[in-house]
Amino acid sequence: MPAPTLLYSSAGFSYDDIMNENNHSESVIIAEGLVKRYSKDVLAVDGVDIVIPANIVYALLGPNGAGKTTMISMLTTLIEPTAGSARVKGFDVVRRADEVRKRIGVTFQEMILDEELTGRQVLDFHGRLYGQPKAKRRAKIAELLALVELEDAADRRCATYSGGMKRRLELARGLMTEPEVLFLDEPTLGLDPQNRVSIWEYVRNLKADLGLSLLFTTHYMEEAEQMADRVGIIDHGRIVVEGSPRALVDQMGEDTIRILGRGDSRAFVETLQALPFVETVVEGESVIQLGVDSGSKRLAEVVTLANTDGFTIDDISVAKPSLGDVFLKYTGRQLRDK
Amino acid sequence: MRAAITIWHKHMTKLRLHPEEAVGLLIQPIMWVVLFGVGMRGLIGQGMGIEEEAYMAFMVPGIIALTALGAAIAGGVVWLSERLQGIVKEYLVAPIARLSILVGNAMSIVTKSVFQAVIIFIVGALMGAQVSLNPLGWLGGLVLVAGYGAGFAGIALAGASKSNDIGAYHMLIFLFNLPLLFLSNALYPLEMLPRWMEIGARLNPTSYVVDGLRQMVFENGAELAGGETLSLGLCFVVVAAFAVLGMGAAYMVFRKTVQ
Repeated sequence: MPAPTLLYSSAGFSYDDIMNENNHSESVIIAEGLVKRYSKDVLAVDGVDIVIPANIVYALLGPNGAGKTTMISMLTTLIEPTAGSARVKGFDVVRRADEVRKRIGVTFQEMILDEELTGRQVLDFHGRLYGQPKAKRRAKIAELLALVELEDAADRRCATYSGGMKRRLELARGLMTEPEVLFLDEPTLGLDPQNRVSIWEYVRNLKADLGLSLLFTTHYMEEAEQMADRVGIIDHGRIVVEGSPRALVDQMGEDTIRILGRGDSRAFVETLQALPFVETVVEGESVIQLGVDSGSKRLAEVVTLANTDGFTIDDISVAKPSLGDVFLKYTGRQLRDK
Repeated sequence: MRAAITIWHKHMTKLRLHPEEAVGLLIQPIMWVVLFGVGMRGLIGQGMGIEEEAYMAFMVPGIIALTALGAAIAGGVVWLSERLQGIVKEYLVAPIARLSILVGNAMSIVTKSVFQAVIIFIVGALMGAQVSLNPLGWLGGLVLVAGYGAGFAGIALAGASKSNDIGAYHMLIFLFNLPLLFLSNALYPLEMLPRWMEIGARLNPTSYVVDGLRQMVFENGAELAGGETLSLGLCFVVVAAFAVLGMGAAYMVFRKTVQ
């Protein structure tokens, strides 16, 4: 398999910085050649190597079916890898699963709550499952209910909660046993924009307060861009590129010109590639995307060239590049929010 | 064990919060004794040439076994729905033994079975079955019910660990349910059965729990099972082996779902 591209940003956070800072402490998650094959035809994860340093937020970004949940399931000891190995906090996820389990908190993609129980009962039973003494549970429950602002609803049955409240309760449950590593699988799936924002606010506070390491998956590129210190873009079970969101986006050029059109794109793309101001050309299924030094300045030039090459432009736009553009560059497909 | 007790306690809490289920657990065995028992004792009691009260004592252990089957099947559904909803994942990422998850579920099933058995003893006595006054007999009887409940809970949990929808689960369980009840001495004495059925009944753990109950809990239930009864020691050994085998089967099947 091709090695995932590592990108180093010149500004701000760099991979080297992170690695140097954490040389004394070990990496939180190390996966080597991780493979999960469900059946002969279903290869969910196809050889993933990742190293996640301590105290950072790492996002696995990819479309549905890319292998994100399978990755989380293997790292959280829910399922065993078909090949390769992974360690969390230095413990092998298969051979030392119990040591891994003691150190992690997890929220799953689906809402998983006993709806008959109250929020307080859900947290209390969870703490008991981990053998927390009563006094500890009581203190922790009070603290977490305050954090996720569910104090008023704590003694109501979960069945009466809104989707956002359930997610917040699940977040509290994931933190109940003071994990060193928190896994959030699509934490904002199915939430309205307002609740999505508030979930991330809690997570941001957590990171500041507790300094825990966090791995989350998402198919919302803005979430990865805003929340993560590092992003691994995953597609068809492989990490196609990895780096800080800043470094990933920076390589796309200053601006992105996106062109939708008809006609012979081959000649047009060749012309574009020869231009000095064009830094990247990505041809997707229905879109051509250019990374250029200055979008507004080069727009007219590009349109003229399209006419010369007999390519009809239906729509053309200039934007600041995003992780979505990075995704398109490495997979040739667009990452849609839906 | 701590984890198993937590899971058991959670189930009991949910039961308390769900009065419908608790009432159902109470009503169902009463209906069995009253409706089925009264109907049968008129019909079969006379056919066998025994008193109606005596047939009651003969039959009540069979109803207890049947109710324990029902509790196990219902417990399997609880487990299956926890699996399908994903609640099981909460247990699976926790630092607890995989077996304790199953044991917690089996304990919930056994608790319900024993609770129902007590109800049936009482209703049976009210309906005229002569109950033994020896508390050790009662205790032994409840131990047998618990063991039998655990064994069948294991089969139900194995089935529920393997199937991926409620329909498939019920089909699978149905295959066990009927022969376990009818291919036994629960409803008719061993000696009245044709040879091939008698062999089947002797291989069936239900016969041992039913026979043990007749001997220990009811004054004259055992005499009615025919001259020859199964030895009490054998009853305990067979039921204990059944409990271990059932839970072992559940564990084997459950382990596979993790891979």
